[in-house]
Amino acid sequence: MLIKSSDELPRKTLFKRFPIPSNAQVPPEFRIQPGKVWPEPEGAKNVKRLRIFRYNPENGKPPQIDTFTIDRDDCGPMLLDALLKIKAEIDPTLTFRRSCREGVCGSCSMNIDGTNWLACIRSMDELDEPAVIYPLNNLDVIRDLVGDQRHAFAQYAAIKPWLQAEAPSSGIEHLQSPEDRSKLDGYYECILCFCCTSGCPSHWWNGDRFLGPAVLLQAWRFLADSRDQATAERLDELEDPFKLYRCHTILNCTRTCPKGLNPGKAIAEIKAKMITRQS
Amino acid sequence: MNNPSRPRSPHVQVYRPQLTSVLSFGHRLSGLFLSLGAVLLVGWLLAAATEAQAFTHLNAWLGSALGLLLLFIWTLALFFHLCNGIRHLLWDAVIGFELVDIYRSGWIVVFSSIGLTLVTWALAFWQMG
Repeated sequence: MLIKSSDELPRKTLFKRFPIPSNAQVPPEFRIQPGKVWPEPEGAKNVKRLRIFRYNPENGKPPQIDTFTIDRDDCGPMLLDALLKIKAEIDPTLTFRRSCREGVCGSCSMNIDGTNWLACIRSMDELDEPAVIYPLNNLDVIRDLVGDQRHAFAQYAAIKPWLQAEAPSSGIEHLQSPEDRSKLDGYYECILCFCCTSGCPSHWWNGDRFLGPAVLLQAWRFLADSRDQATAERLDELEDPFKLYRCHTILNCTRTCPKGLNPGKAIAEIKAKMITRQS
Repeated sequence: MNNPSRPRSPHVQVYRPQLTSVLSFGHRLSGLFLSLGAVLLVGWLLAAATEAQAFTHLNAWLGSALGLLLLFIWTLALFFHLCNGIRHLLWDAVIGFELVDIYRSGWIVVFSSIGLTLVTWALAFWQMG
């Protein structure tokens, strides 16, 4: 019942998804259809079935869920290994982002068995049978598991994610005490995989204007930096019913962060700073 | 965002319900239900102050199985909204954000709101004899 860190899998739950129609608010041409069941590997003893969201904008068909079966004795241990194996040996058109294969680049974030995580650091031992893979939530799908993240990165650019400071008159670099530096711990490590923003119900409903947990965590990272001199301007920018205050402390973000960071706490710190500067 | 020529990847349709999101939705729903209850409370007071017959009818309806069920849900909604509200106040003071504390306080809210509801109803029935 108690979850101690975000890498713990959900244990027994009453519902695997919310009891609403699976095509609620989806236009008819984009309703997800049953897809192709690819042949099983012959003679395999240890298999894993993966049900994967597919969408190809060029064939004019609605999205569909394909089923692949993997011989685990002939495949690496992680979900990303399985996706690469599918692309190499079964269906070369399967499209997804990946780069570092070790959880530092944030490219292969996707919705795995209902929660967001990086495919490269999710062991296949931890997957449901069959595992169900969707792209990150609430993005315009470019193809298969690749979502359009332009809006997310535009929101990131909007908070000016760089140090704003006058050059020190001493002519040397900005100095920072170890104590001040430690205030950035837990905030600077974000890899911008957008697992949290995609898993945030507030961002689902108001994503056009609400900045979302990933971007607000970055905003706090610069507010908390003793070297940054634009604190007042940054807070002025965020003082908005939507940009910041659409966060209702749901905390799906902290539950899902693959780096174990705490976007929910970062947002609470911003809200607290908003109040304290008024008094 | 909002490109009509592309499908939007599913969100609430596929995302797994977790204690975090379920309690947050519950807070909204209980708040909504409580505001309906506030209307009923006003109607009940209005009837008590003006129309003796309407008051008798309303009380009879509230004493029926459906009325009692609704009142029970209202009590639960009240205690859940109260307990979860305290949780939100602590969060506003940036207290209790470690994941284990989020889950701990969440389950405390669940069990204490159920417990307080049962105690209230037990007391009510004991008072009535």
